[in-house]
Amino acid sequence: MNRMPPGMPAPSSPAIAPVREGPPRWFLWVALVILLVAVQALLLGLTLHYRSSKAQEEVEAGVLASAEELRKMLGADLRRVLNLPGREAAPPLWRERAQVLLIERPELLRLERRDTAFALTHAMDTPTRSPPFARIPRAEAQLETELACRAAERRSEPSYSRSFFVPHADGGGVEVLDLCIAERIGERVTGYVVATYGLPALLDQLSASAPPPGLDFAMLEPDGTMLAHGPQRSGAGVFRASRLIDLPGTAIQLQLNSPAARPSLVPDLVTTMVVGLSLTLFGVVVLLARDVRRRARAESELAESLAFRKAMEDSLVTGLRARDLEARTTYVNPAFCAMVGFEADELLSPARPPYWPAELADEYQRRQEERLASGAQTRDAFETTFVRKNGERFPAMVFESALRDASGAHAGWMSAIVDLSAQRRVEEVARQQQDRLQATARLATIGEMASLVSHELNQPLSAIAAYATGTLNVMDAHTPGAPLDAELWGSLHVAARQIAQQSERAGRVIKSVHDFVRRRESAREPVPVAELVEAVLPLVRLQARKSDTAIELDLEPGLRKVVCDRAMVEQVLLNLTRNGIQAMQGSPRDDRRRVLVLRARASTPQWVLLSVFDTGPGVDAEVARKLFTPFFTTRSEGMGLGLSVCRTIVEQHGGALDFENVRDAADAVCGVAFRFTLPAERGRLAATRDAIDAEIDTQPPATLANEG
Amino acid sequence: MTTPELGLPMVYLVDDEQVVRQGVAWLLRSRRLLSDGFDSGEAFETALEQRAASGMGRDDWPDSPSCLVLDLRMGGMSGLALFERVIARGLLETLPVIFLTGHGDVPTAVAAVKRGAFDFVEKPFSNNALVDRVEQALARSAAALLKRRELSARQRRLEQLSKREREVMELVASGMSNKAMAETLQVSVRTIEVHRASVYEKLGVQSAVELLNVLRP
Repeated sequence: MNRMPPGMPAPSSPAIAPVREGPPRWFLWVALVILLVAVQALLLGLTLHYRSSKAQEEVEAGVLASAEELRKMLGADLRRVLNLPGREAAPPLWRERAQVLLIERPELLRLERRDTAFALTHAMDTPTRSPPFARIPRAEAQLETELACRAAERRSEPSYSRSFFVPHADGGGVEVLDLCIAERIGERVTGYVVATYGLPALLDQLSASAPPPGLDFAMLEPDGTMLAHGPQRSGAGVFRASRLIDLPGTAIQLQLNSPAARPSLVPDLVTTMVVGLSLTLFGVVVLLARDVRRRARAESELAESLAFRKAMEDSLVTGLRARDLEARTTYVNPAFCAMVGFEADELLSPARPPYWPAELADEYQRRQEERLASGAQTRDAFETTFVRKNGERFPAMVFESALRDASGAHAGWMSAIVDLSAQRRVEEVARQQQDRLQATARLATIGEMASLVSHELNQPLSAIAAYATGTLNVMDAHTPGAPLDAELWGSLHVAARQIAQQSERAGRVIKSVHDFVRRRESAREPVPVAELVEAVLPLVRLQARKSDTAIELDLEPGLRKVVCDRAMVEQVLLNLTRNGIQAMQGSPRDDRRRVLVLRARASTPQWVLLSVFDTGPGVDAEVARKLFTPFFTTRSEGMGLGLSVCRTIVEQHGGALDFENVRDAADAVCGVAFRFTLPAERGRLAATRDAIDAEIDTQPPATLANEG
Repeated sequence: MTTPELGLPMVYLVDDEQVVRQGVAWLLRSRRLLSDGFDSGEAFETALEQRAASGMGRDDWPDSPSCLVLDLRMGGMSGLALFERVIARGLLETLPVIFLTGHGDVPTAVAAVKRGAFDFVEKPFSNNALVDRVEQALARSAAALLKRRELSARQRRLEQLSKREREVMELVASGMSNKAMAETLQVSVRTIEVHRASVYEKLGVQSAVELLNVLRP
């Protein structure tokens, strides 16, 4: 039913309904916070993990590179050792070359030459460090060396010994590793070259040459036993990587210990940024949440006010109608729909509203265009006629005022429409009741008077009749000529006196009625005929409506006023019209329309003739003779006073009342006309003339005398 | 008109107008009828009460043929109201009511006749029409009184019968023979004959046929 103006959100019921679908609102917020925390934690964890794995990767890469470097170093050493002069060379040359080699390669601690019996032939210690076998003789620490040499001999390739510890004089010691190369001539072993590596020195060299210098290296046995540390002890012990380096005859694990500590939250820039951004994000979410709450509140307030507005509009009895600047209906409320009986859809679409009566639509259209053209924006109230869907017309009061949009611009008109038909109906009923009351009062006056008069007359007449009859009875019983005894004479005397008294009383009643009527004569005044007719018309219409009779007025224009007792003449008109209407009611002839005509004509300059025509059955001769007899009536409920009283009244005014059957073309009686005359008011001219005449009448003798 | 055993007929006149009352009384007297006037319904009502209180009993009044001539329109208690009292007292048969009506009261009077009034006479009445109607009403009253008396006399006689005699009487009325009655009542035929003779004597009848006539309502 309801239609909102365009651009106005329709207050759909879900928006108003306090019950929401799905989980409660707080659940969403808790979920959001939990998710946010989880994501932040994950992000933080990932960041830390990334950094950890990056550090680990660096270490891995470092250890790879270092292992490669170590291999290269060992390979280079091997080649240098192999390039030492052989057995055939002179020992000084070997020494010289060995010395050079030891200086160039500080990781080598000692170079030895041994014969096939593994006896030491030449030896040269590194000049850069303290000689390794100072505390204990070499012979006591060459078991591993011998094993390596045997292996080298057996496999025909250089072989490394297992590492072993050589204590130093200062209480410390050094872990060493021997490289043994079997010298051969053909298949025969001619001796051995042994090179002793100091593992710490090796690590020193390695850390000096590896790409990121200053790494914390360590060497371990494959089983994890620490062999040697590099020069740097900076390793944090968190990120480590080791690499097993396979050497012929032995294996060494190279371990790289990154100086990077476990990544921590605060000092880390990236972590700090992540945490900061997370906190900012939280703040934004909180702000957003508050904003959402505010919006939700505003929304619910809006929905509430919309609902209130709608409830208000729906509960109104007054119809509401909004029109835009082109006079198109944009909104109607249910009350208006109910008033005109159309659906809202039917009212909104058409250019010309369906509630305009067809015969008035053009005028309304013109009026509306005028209003549009004038751009009137003031409040306006006017009465108009609308038509309901069922075709019924009804009067309506329209209050129209300018409609302004949110920006205050004139957007159309808002009309409040009040259906006046109920009010009219009430007024009509009240008027009818008033009329009925008046009619009853008037009829009661006449009827009561008649009843009163008849009772007043009945009493003396009854007494007279009783006495007269009784007297006759007595006289009949008495023998004529016989003497009248005293008692009988007395009673007859009483009877005669009573008869006389009661006759006088009856006379007094009649005289008082006469006086009453005469008193009314002084109430005469000039009255326009139209006023007389109008005074009785509501009553006549009331009766006419009950019997479906049409009333027609035929009053000659410019009639003179009639001089009469208004109330009396109205009574006459009422009586005559009522008689006419009742006469027509009595005739069940449906072929003839029931019409009552009230006609007024100036019959002569001094008289006005009023006629009441009906289309009833007429008056037959039998009835006509008795028509004006008092107490004659053809109706069971009638008092029979009507026509005789009417005639009396008219005659008291100096007029005459008669009737005539109206005949149609076929000379058949088609109704009756009751006519009566009333004296017209004399015009001023006539009055003057009368006055002059009167004066002349009184003066003729004098005039004649003058002439004579 | 006068019925010796019923006493003098009496006409009760209720009219608030003294002249009318006197006139009608005069008229009635010219036809040798006694009348008693009351100026209102209340006055007549009071008179009735007094008669009832004087110990004669409601059933026994009126003991002579009576008639009530009642004006329809009176001050105070209207004629119709008094008429209703008369009906309530069960006097309608023995005290016929004739209404006097003025012009315009005819429909009311007609309604009253339908309720049981004897008649109405319109004022002003002429000739002896009213008196004629009064006499007819008195005649009806006399008939009603006679019937009432007869009924009460029979009642008295029936009350004289003993219980057994009443039984015998009922059986006789049903047409049973003496022998059958003796068997029904378990007594001898002789006893029945004695009872039967006693019933006949007490009720003043000679035969079963007469007995039936007496018992017929």
